[in-house]
Amino acid sequence: MMRTTALMRMVPAACLLLSVCLSKAYGDEVWRAEFDDACAKTTDVMTLSVDELGALIGRCERLQKVVEQQDETVRKVFLKRLQLCKDLYVYVLEAKNNEKLRK
Amino acid sequence: MEYLWQAGGIVSATGPLKNGILVDHIVVEVTMRRALIVVLVLFVGAGIAWASGTKKRKLPPYEFGSVTINNYSQQSGMPPVVFDHWVHRQYFTCRLCHVDIGFGMTAGATKVRAVDNMKGYYCGACHNGRMNASKTKVFEACAKEYSREDYKRCVKCHALERDAAREEEFYRFADTMPKERFGNGINWEKAEEEGLIKPLDQLEGVSIMKAKLKVQQDFSLKSKVEGMPDIIFSHRKHTVWNGCELCHPEIFVGIKKGTSKYSMVELFDGKYCGVCHDKVAFPQTDCQRCHTKPV
Repeated sequence: MMRTTALMRMVPAACLLLSVCLSKAYGDEVWRAEFDDACAKTTDVMTLSVDELGALIGRCERLQKVVEQQDETVRKVFLKRLQLCKDLYVYVLEAKNNEKLRK
Repeated sequence: MEYLWQAGGIVSATGPLKNGILVDHIVVEVTMRRALIVVLVLFVGAGIAWASGTKKRKLPPYEFGSVTINNYSQQSGMPPVVFDHWVHRQYFTCRLCHVDIGFGMTAGATKVRAVDNMKGYYCGACHNGRMNASKTKVFEACAKEYSREDYKRCVKCHALERDAAREEEFYRFADTMPKERFGNGINWEKAEEEGLIKPLDQLEGVSIMKAKLKVQQDFSLKSKVEGMPDIIFSHRKHTVWNGCELCHPEIFVGIKKGTSKYSMVELFDGKYCGVCHDKVAFPQTDCQRCHTKPV
């Protein structure tokens, strides 16, 4: 009887632990996939519209908040990478807006 | 002997006379004149040195592009890391390391720690003991504990002193490459054109798979010095090796040609083209590499 009770307690605990681990791994995968997608447009940045650029900058800003919560190494690497791609989008967006104003 | 001082020098003194002139007075005047000349020479010398800057030592070819990184090494009882660009640029584009892996563009700016490498970032992205380059396993970077045998691996990067074998390795490699007058004596552009090197631009698990970069048009930039040919800027080559985000907007702020205004003085000061050229890419003293437009 006691063994069954212990087992019954251990199973939910193990499930909880597993779900925490999986959710962390899943969470990592989610933000990494979002990073890969948001920063994938740097090669064709000049073909993007002002709206598309604005949306990408917004995604980079949201990602920044998530990356800031990661451990020191990941934070250092991905903040630098994110900065490079976000700066490029901002820079092209400003250039496009300036050109529009000039016209 | 007593002197009476006033602004401008001695106005009266008492002491032995020679031809009616105070001997000590003459000695003091000569000494003062000499001191004044010495001060003047020092002042002018310092002024010239300040205006022209201290002359840089011309590096031997195998040292050109070497970067010493010492953010944490010595604190941990290890010699600083001496990173040789020539070893790495035969395998990888600049973009791969400076964008995808996240290395900064100035020595020590990245503040790489051993633990970062051990987690598979920075040097550890390739130096993980699993990756192969030229059919050779790339040695693993950094470990928490190491044996006497492992230490041989540590000093591959944490160089105690200039390694003669490393120098020899450089010359053996350079002998197989197209020649260049300056820098490390290797024409990397030609080496790639001739298929002698095939730098990788993507690293699995690290790089983002992107659309192929549109070929950028080369363009000319007007030379500011009369008689000097205009520059043909190889935008195509630069984008292939660097991507867009490595140069824009951090190094060059304009999209339109001529937006970033700069002079050779600034370039020699390590800004704009000088961020890479002179340090890793061919030096700016090789005028004809950029000023190529026929007059």
